[in-house]
Amino acid sequence: MSGDRVVVGYTATDAGADALALGARLGAALGTSVHVVVVLPSPQGNVSIPTAASYDRLVEDTARGWLRDALARLGDPAGIRGHVRYAHDVSDGLVAAADEFGAGVIVVGTGGGGPRGRHRLGTTAEELVHSAPVPVALAPEGARDVDPSVGLPRVTAAIGTRPGADVLLDTAVAVSRRAKAPLRLLSLAGVDLPDRIDASLTRLTGHAHAESVLESVRADLPAGIAAEAVVGTGSDIEDAVSRIEWEPGEIALVGSSRLAQPRRLFLGSTAGRILRALPVPMIVVPRTSEAS
Amino acid sequence: MTTSRNGASPAPDSAVTTGISNKGLRVGSIGMIGAVVIGISTIAPAYTLTGALGPTVSAVGFQVPAIILVGFIPMLLVALGYRELNSRMPDAGTSFTWAARAFGPWVGWMAGWGLVAATVIVLSNLAGIAVDFLFLLIAQISGNPEIAEITRIVPVNVAVCLLFMLLATIVSYRDLQTTQRLQYGLVGFQILVLLVFAGAAVVEMMNGNAFDPSPVQLSWFNPFEVPSFSAFAAGLSLSIFIFWGWDVILTMNEETKDPDKTPGRAATVTVFLIVALYLLIAVALLMFAGNGAGELGLGNEDIQENVFFHLSGPILGPLAFLVSLAVLTSSASSLQATFVGPARTLLAMAHYDALPRKFAKVSPRFFTPGYATIVSAIVASGFYAIMRVLSENVLTDTITALGAMICFYYGLTAFACVWYFRKQWFDSARNVFLTLLAPLIGGVILAVLFVTTLIDSANPEYGSGSQIGGVGLVFVITVVIIVVGVVLMIAQRIASPAFFRGETLGREAPASARRRRTT
Repeated sequence: MSGDRVVVGYTATDAGADALALGARLGAALGTSVHVVVVLPSPQGNVSIPTAASYDRLVEDTARGWLRDALARLGDPAGIRGHVRYAHDVSDGLVAAADEFGAGVIVVGTGGGGPRGRHRLGTTAEELVHSAPVPVALAPEGARDVDPSVGLPRVTAAIGTRPGADVLLDTAVAVSRRAKAPLRLLSLAGVDLPDRIDASLTRLTGHAHAESVLESVRADLPAGIAAEAVVGTGSDIEDAVSRIEWEPGEIALVGSSRLAQPRRLFLGSTAGRILRALPVPMIVVPRTSEAS
Repeated sequence: MTTSRNGASPAPDSAVTTGISNKGLRVGSIGMIGAVVIGISTIAPAYTLTGALGPTVSAVGFQVPAIILVGFIPMLLVALGYRELNSRMPDAGTSFTWAARAFGPWVGWMAGWGLVAATVIVLSNLAGIAVDFLFLLIAQISGNPEIAEITRIVPVNVAVCLLFMLLATIVSYRDLQTTQRLQYGLVGFQILVLLVFAGAAVVEMMNGNAFDPSPVQLSWFNPFEVPSFSAFAAGLSLSIFIFWGWDVILTMNEETKDPDKTPGRAATVTVFLIVALYLLIAVALLMFAGNGAGELGLGNEDIQENVFFHLSGPILGPLAFLVSLAVLTSSASSLQATFVGPARTLLAMAHYDALPRKFAKVSPRFFTPGYATIVSAIVASGFYAIMRVLSENVLTDTITALGAMICFYYGLTAFACVWYFRKQWFDSARNVFLTLLAPLIGGVILAVLFVTTLIDSANPEYGSGSQIGGVGLVFVITVVIIVVGVVLMIAQRIASPAFFRGETLGREAPASARRRRTT
């Protein structure tokens, strides 16, 4: 990670408010500054409509107004700043902003008018979780209504059984330590998979396997970090995720897929299915750290 | 807008940064070719010619080439003034803002209204032409000529037109842009097809297959051969329409890689290309079809409203579908380029309180003038539907009314340039020409054209011969548009007087640089 600050991809919509609320909460919990960015379309490469610099300036002023209003609604906290940037598309602009501000996470909203507490990836979020070089936090519909005073009540890391969880675990430990939030380890190894024949047997062996994975992970945790462990069970991943108890305001960390290019995110199919049922924000973490 | 409302700069206290690091900067990125492509796709020569050639022939007969050459002069003179205003007061409101700064709120409001009305009319005409060619294209590809006639069934025609408008609205609202490569391809295709079309017409004429072979004569290029001043004025106001859109290139300063050179060069290249193309097509089609009132003659009122529609088959035979495709793609890209005009002006007017605040809304997701775009689309659709029912020859009449509205707001803009720079006229020889002579002469020509068109169009025989109560339809349209504008302006004055008191956009005239130096 190039830095530890928070970049929020903002639009003057409900999804933008969700992202800003989560970003502000993360910034406060981690004690770091938050940079709220509106990315405007760059006229680069446009040859279909006559461009007018004067209109673009008016839009830029309008975007600054949106940022001022949004920050004023939060009570203009110190540590949160608004910026307007231009880029060919929003995800490019946010990645560039993360680089510019030394951010360790990019926050975007995934509400898009869907049901409360649900994620629905728009174009920008979709692109980010499949290419961003830094962790991406996804704020579900309704994140704007979470009371900022709850802070970060818990950090849950979804631990798999395959290599790749190390960076995820390191990140989860770091976040939990910095935000003074309890850590919870989650394994979904007990979930039935459709190609297995004997569901109950699978559940039993899967559950035992999950327990042992969690035990070994817990043993590897740095001294002084306690972690509660939970095994998800259910007919499928969505079912298992929805059976688990989630505190309002907590965040879930999920590792990037093995399909990802080095130092890039790629939301795997399991993570995608977790996201579908997850009622709290998810942070997708790259498999490899920049150092490796 | 460089100057924010009330001339006050925004409070610097806030936590929102105003500077932009060079990374996220909005950079000028359009090169010469890009600017030419934008210019040509905005002018849309294939669409423009099929719509305007017929009405122009009906006004001036064989002297169309002469009128095309002469018609460029007032356009150029006004565009020079336009460029001066744009570099001095870059503002999304363009004509509206400039006229308000020069002549005060009332004239400014009417100039903005004229611009919006003209672009809304052209939107409806563009969509109307596209409908004709859609059916023609289907007929050509399926080999069933009867399908082309479906466009004459009014309810079907209006329904398809509204569908086109809906698509164009979605594209504009969401700011969906075609890729650079596709746009280059479309413009190249359009020019190529027009060249082939003109070439084929000449070859057919040489081979003796023309409908009414008319060898090209020098007199076609002589404007003094036009029989009457009324005919001359009508032709001229139409030929202003065919160059309309060209001025966008001149005003693209900050967007280009080299603001000092690119716009001027691109505008020159574009205008030579466009004039050559227009002359070629006009001469070729006159050679092929003549000026008679026969079946395919350009003097035939039935084919005048959409010349390519009727002539592409006889000239190109099985390849005629290429012309349909070129006109369709040309109308489609012009539809998108034209949509931004009225929407941005409406937004700027609302920004200065000259319209209800809703019009000033910028879409938070697509950063387009959302509300203004939708209102423009609804008005253009309504206008087309009403005209389609009222007029015998809707496309001809809308084009003529459009010519008049362009003269109206362009003329006002030209005079605004003259008056705004009144203290700087004699600062330099350059100023004498660009801020006084050019816009003044251009403005006077447009004013004369506007008044002449208005007087002549009151005659029920004018244009397509459509009339309401013994008065020509074009006259009625033009007057109704202006009266509606005045009524809306007064309504806005009552609802929100700040703009009309000059509180949001005051009059000004920059002081002479020369006097400042000496004192």
